[in-house]
Amino acid sequence: MTEFLELVGRGLITQNLILLQGLGMYALTRHTKTISGALKAGVSMLAAMLTAGLGVWFLSALAIPESLSFFAYLVVASLAAFLWQRLLEMPDSFSGGLMDSALLGMLLLMGRSYITGFAAIGYAVSAGLGYLIVLLVIAFLRYQLQLAPIPKPFKGVPLVLITAGLLGMALLGFKL
Amino acid sequence: MKTIVDGIFKQNPVFKLALGLAPAVAVATTAYNGLVLGVTTALVLVIAAVISALLVQVVPKTARSVLHLSLLAILTMGAYQVLLQVDPQVVANLGIFLPLIVVNGFVLHSLERSATVSEAAADAVGKGVGFAIALVVLGVIREFLAAGTFFGAVVLESQLPLFALAASVPGGMVILGLLLALYNAVTGQGGELSD
Repeated sequence: MTEFLELVGRGLITQNLILLQGLGMYALTRHTKTISGALKAGVSMLAAMLTAGLGVWFLSALAIPESLSFFAYLVVASLAAFLWQRLLEMPDSFSGGLMDSALLGMLLLMGRSYITGFAAIGYAVSAGLGYLIVLLVIAFLRYQLQLAPIPKPFKGVPLVLITAGLLGMALLGFKL
Repeated sequence: MKTIVDGIFKQNPVFKLALGLAPAVAVATTAYNGLVLGVTTALVLVIAAVISALLVQVVPKTARSVLHLSLLAILTMGAYQVLLQVDPQVVANLGIFLPLIVVNGFVLHSLERSATVSEAAADAVGKGVGFAIALVVLGVIREFLAAGTFFGAVVLESQLPLFALAASVPGGMVILGLLLALYNAVTGQGGELSD
């Protein structure tokens, strides 16, 4: 049980995909303009991650050689992304889709930490939740900052990155 | 030629389009890391762009994302094996971000725009070089702040412990945010994305 909770903590906080791994920058900069947009992007990614976690659980039964694991992860990630893009009627293109670095990156991190079997699902869900929470927090902060007197060059992406960086530094404290 | 020059500065993937930021904040912690990842990404993009432009007439529109992903996966794994032979340490430093070239935002974005072979090649060369330059600039700044070195050569004898965070992902986000603001100030643009 403790091990499982530790895994969840890793996915949510100490290995947070956006703030501490630097993945999912596209969603962080593009999908946090409104709170509803962030919610939609986060929930669809959570669903895709859960599906990918199930895929890895299934893969661990197949005993795929390590040299091919990257291709296996890529297939699992693209299938999960395309499945949810179809179900949610999202555009197939990269800019509107789910196939970004967070999904494949999460699977590769899982492979590197030897997380397989049922634990893969727990890790995938906690990583997806961590991703969703960060998008929501940043979208809320952007909403709050709308009326703030921000110098023109800092508006938009620069300020999002600086805000996310400061949030991430706070999370670094949990790694000690 | 204009497309190539535009890709380096006016349409720089990192500073102007704000794409491919994940490797920039995560692994461009030293100038060398940034250079290796930037050059590898640029090479993969140029080859993939030319092959994809050649195949664009034969492959139906619905199958293009599959074509792009498979092309990039094969090229990236090839680059991975070559780098592993040349310098295993840098492969270890780059970690998951070397295989993640496959889903790099600006690479997929560049491939999605269908064009003639020469246009696609010029666009890919410009954007690839622009991306590599951005990663090296970020790597130089972060390496200097965190370790006081430049491409591994000691510049400052005393450490700057205050700036050790520059080597972490959150530190990278703050530095990249400041660099983007500087780029906007120089070019006179606002930071809001138009897309």
